Amino acid sequence: MSDLDKAIGLLKDCQIIPEDQVRDLCARAQELLIEERNVQVVDAPVTICGDIHGQFHDLITLFEHGGQCPDTNYLFLGDFVDRGFYSLESFLLLLCLKVRYPDRITLIRGNHESRQITTVYGFYDECIRKYGSANVWRYCCDVFDYLALGALVGGPGGVFCVHGGLSPAVKSLDQIRLIDRKQEVPHEGAMCDLLWSDPDDIDGWGVSPRGAGYLFGADKVKEFNHNNDLSLIARAHQLVMEGYKEMFDGEIVTVWSAPNYCYRCGNVAAILTIDDKLTRTYEVFEAAPQESKGMPAKKPAADYFL
Amino acid sequence: MEPSIAAEELYPIAVLIDELKHEDVTLRLNAIRRLSTIALALGSERTRTELIPFLEDSLDDEDEVLTVLAEELGKFVPYVGGSEYANVLLIPLETFAGVEEPFVREKAVESLDKVCVEMSREQVEEHFMPLIKRLTSAEWFTNKVSVTALFPTVYEKVSDESKASLRQLYSQLVYDDAPMVRRAAATHLTLLIPHIERELIVSEIVPWFMFLAQDDQDSVRLLTIDILIAIAESLGAERAREQLFDQLKKLFADKSWRVRYMVADRFEALAVAVSAGDEVVLKEGFVPAMVKLLKDSEAEVRTVIAKQVPGFCQLVDAETVIQEIMPGIEELVDDQSQHVRAALATKISGLAPILGKEDTIKYLLPMFLQMLKDEFPEVRLNIICKLEQVNKVIGIDLLSQSLLPAITQLAQDKQWRVRLAIIEYIPLLASQLGVEFFDTQLRDLYMAWLRDSVYSIREAASENLRNLTKVFGVEWAQSTIMPKVIEAGENPNYLYRMTSIAAATTLAGEVTVDVIKNSIVPFLDGMVGDPIPNIRFTVARSYESVSLLARAKAAAEEERSAAESMISDIILPSLEKLKTDEDVDVRFYADKSLKAIG
Repeated sequence: MSDLDKAIGLLKDCQIIPEDQVRDLCARAQELLIEERNVQVVDAPVTICGDIHGQFHDLITLFEHGGQCPDTNYLFLGDFVDRGFYSLESFLLLLCLKVRYPDRITLIRGNHESRQITTVYGFYDECIRKYGSANVWRYCCDVFDYLALGALVGGPGGVFCVHGGLSPAVKSLDQIRLIDRKQEVPHEGAMCDLLWSDPDDIDGWGVSPRGAGYLFGADKVKEFNHNNDLSLIARAHQLVMEGYKEMFDGEIVTVWSAPNYCYRCGNVAAILTIDDKLTRTYEVFEAAPQESKGMPAKKPAADYFL
Repeated sequence: MEPSIAAEELYPIAVLIDELKHEDVTLRLNAIRRLSTIALALGSERTRTELIPFLEDSLDDEDEVLTVLAEELGKFVPYVGGSEYANVLLIPLETFAGVEEPFVREKAVESLDKVCVEMSREQVEEHFMPLIKRLTSAEWFTNKVSVTALFPTVYEKVSDESKASLRQLYSQLVYDDAPMVRRAAATHLTLLIPHIERELIVSEIVPWFMFLAQDDQDSVRLLTIDILIAIAESLGAERAREQLFDQLKKLFADKSWRVRYMVADRFEALAVAVSAGDEVVLKEGFVPAMVKLLKDSEAEVRTVIAKQVPGFCQLVDAETVIQEIMPGIEELVDDQSQHVRAALATKISGLAPILGKEDTIKYLLPMFLQMLKDEFPEVRLNIICKLEQVNKVIGIDLLSQSLLPAITQLAQDKQWRVRLAIIEYIPLLASQLGVEFFDTQLRDLYMAWLRDSVYSIREAASENLRNLTKVFGVEWAQSTIMPKVIEAGENPNYLYRMTSIAAATTLAGEVTVDVIKNSIVPFLDGMVGDPIPNIRFTVARSYESVSLLARAKAAAEEERSAAESMISDIILPSLEKLKTDEDVDVRFYADKSLKAIG
């Protein structure tokens, strides 16, 4: 069994892998990701998954529902880290799978895959806690910079996949293809909007309450889909209690894959399978049972690194 | 010994000793875990005169380090020069036994106990008795809590005179002002009682029990249930009843639910210890108590007493069970708490052998039927999982009629984990129900699981085909299951096609070479050209297991050549084709299978 298969086995048991192995893994991932396009082309059939946010046991439940990688093809829409207790294990598992089966799993970037956001929402602290230094966090952040910004599933009439949504600066997929993506997520501009925007019941563009990205209305979605010969925009980024929500005559869908978000929201999660004829099948699932989750004790055993 | 070699050998030891003082906690921890190496290198004398005093100096380290150190010292008797020097270990361990962190204390007490076992009687009198006295009369409660656990071992090893003083010391702990100390004394009294002379129990121990059983802290009172069982085991049931029965009745009806919970949890053991099979005592003392606990106001108490029902009912006759206890059980079937119902469901079938066929049908069957319709899936599942006992009593015909609707419902439960549990139970059920029943009633359900939307369900269903084939035989698998599996291979959804490949591969493990050659391999071969790469590499992987299985199965010469011709004529060419596939994963698995087949 290769080292990579061993690492996958360890991570599936929710154990972390040694720091030097993480460094090698991240280096190999970068080599692979640099070859991917800003809008990576993905063959159908594929199962599209939304935010994970470090909820490792729910990610395992997701695989129990959808099938294991590489048997089932997966496309993750970003936000692998922050908020949950196991960002490291979740992201490293996905990254290992990516390196092991590059054609079977696609990862694109979410707004949380950024240095600035992860220092505030938990991933940075988790790396410090589990490894004693920020090295692993740094390796992971370098990988974030190489993640694709979106994906296109199927040919004409296909599905455009992106973490947040549309941008007033982007009229066609070709404009996304021109972005130089290998950088920290900027505070404004097309790259920022793709990762931060939300659809809303408005006309045209609106100011986003998030302070980054825009709100965009049905007209903009329909215009974009028409101009780019798309049937659907699949995005994540917003909690949906029912796991998924189609809007604007089914031209855009929000897929959310973190059940019982932050271990308290009580929502269910969903994944969306697009088959080779571009039919959509949603599969809804609930959080992993409490006892299997191994919640960290209230008082951590010992803080080695203080 | 050559001095130069000695210096070389001691070098790693010097490193270890340096690490003992290192400022990084993890390094100190590692060094302490290898403390025995250091001791061995130093020799027993230097361990006594240098290492142990050095360790005493490091007593104010982090709790984490102290926990490990306290644990290691328990294994240290050989390193200080054998049991005759064991007393040097008592000094650091005594200090650890008094620290604030419970983990450190716990390990220190375990180690003290180990050291005590190794010591001679004289040493115990000389060194351990004073230690017990010091800890017992210490100011701070931590010492007193720790010391309670040491009494049983010491008590065995000292003179009668010292035994008397040990009992005197223990009574100080029982009557201590701090509830923490009384709790510890009550907990360890259970372990001390078997060591105490029988004739002293009534005069000395029973008063302690009485005192603790009337403690105003319920956390102390609840510990006295185990003390009572221990006393009864030591005194014998009859004398124990004279002394304790009135107090026990008070505990049955204690105002704190935590105490009643403990009574309920130990009910069968209490009944055995105190009644010793005396029917009058059981009927007049315990049956009413059980009836009352079955109606307790707290769901937690009802949950634990429900689990004690069959065990206790074995002690009394069926008549009493039906007359007195059954009404209480019948009420639990409708209990408002799902946890009570689930607990009852796991245990209720244990009543069937006690009641016999007629009464099981009359009393238990209606309850089963109702619980099989329970809105809470765990209740239904618990009943189904324990049906074997009932089956033995009333027979499968009667059971299956009532069972089927419940299974059908569970098979389609919204919760996929419930469906998963029932699938795992199906082979067992199938062996009980027989092939005809399965084919007419359950087969379609089973096949539906192979098309379930949840991957884990499909996987479990295909895995369990193996067990079903074991039950019903190859003939059945070939004629009944294979056609369905092949049919599922035409599903437009690639994930379902994949399940059908998995199912066919599983079946290959149970059927003959002939079936593999004539049904399974042609089916697989039809999917080599599937448009979805995932299907193609699943076929490639499946070829490996099917080929190896066919080879392993082929016993006769004829079969062997059939297997080999199948491999060389069909499987290898297909794999060669897949090896040049456009998809990298297909090529990878085809290559892997080719290498494995050889």
